[in-house]
Amino acid sequence: MATDKELSDFLKSIEKRAFKRAVYAVRNDDAALDIVQDAMIRLSEKYADRPAAELPLVFQRILSNATMDWFRREKVRSAIVTNLSEFDKSGGDEEFDLLETLHALEDTMGTESAADAVSRAQILQRIDAEVAELPARQREAFLLRYWEEFDVAETATVMGCSQGSVKTHCSRAVHALAKALRSKGITP
Amino acid sequence: MRSQQTPAASLEARLAARVAGLLTSHAERLPHDVSERLRFAREQALGRARHARLQTSSGAVVIANGGRAATLAAHPMGWLQAASALPLLVLVGGLVFIDQWVSSEQVQSAAEIDAQLLADDLPPAAYTDPGFAEYLRNAPGP
Repeated sequence: MATDKELSDFLKSIEKRAFKRAVYAVRNDDAALDIVQDAMIRLSEKYADRPAAELPLVFQRILSNATMDWFRREKVRSAIVTNLSEFDKSGGDEEFDLLETLHALEDTMGTESAADAVSRAQILQRIDAEVAELPARQREAFLLRYWEEFDVAETATVMGCSQGSVKTHCSRAVHALAKALRSKGITP
Repeated sequence: MRSQQTPAASLEARLAARVAGLLTSHAERLPHDVSERLRFAREQALGRARHARLQTSSGAVVIANGGRAATLAAHPMGWLQAASALPLLVLVGGLVFIDQWVSSEQVQSAAEIDAQLLADDLPPAAYTDPGFAEYLRNAPGP
């Protein structure tokens, strides 16, 4: 069973990422805060007796469900279903160089000079916007796999799909991000 | 060329990890009011967790003791409830004591009057005799 401190530390560690995930989905800060609070309370009331190691996976499932509940309440379920079923038709358009984009991003993570602070903030803003623009399933797979650092199986469990689908979504998301960032001028 | 030298999956993973790192940096810069609301939400959730645990442990103790009064020993809330009822018990006890004391005083005083009447030289029946009453009215004062 997770102790109070373990639960507190866990919630503290994920609250900002959870908020951003919810914002990407619902595009509304207030609604996202409500969703995160709802998810935290559901976790605390029903799953606080679980071992601390299980909390991340359980919480992500609860957060996904809470987000879906919000859409149901807002009566825009048809819109989200359309979103969830869309697939990025990027076949044959993956010739651009991922490595170049990677080098560009590594430059932004390097030693920061005062003169580049504003530029870096703008790059972060652009990346944030591009992630928000990803198709919902690709974004969810990408965030769970690389931001929450789940493995493919765990991501598939949270998303309720096959591991192959997770890999496909992640790959397409990475290529879409690289392409979008290059088009925004993030190049070496 | 470079993508041929590096396995595609590895390159994707490296790029994705880099983007995720930048997202983390961006997420750390949330506005103060959002951070405060997240903190409030976390505290609310922790409060609910404590409440849920307390209920669970209380239920477990009651079951373990078969629901008998012995649960008070292992149930901190039981002692609080018992302590809160103490002033009421004292009040009821005091009222019962006062009622008993007043009743016994009334019985005592009635018994004293009866004893004086019976022990007097004049028989009690004399007070109902009309001639004796007339005698008392016409008797000269002391």
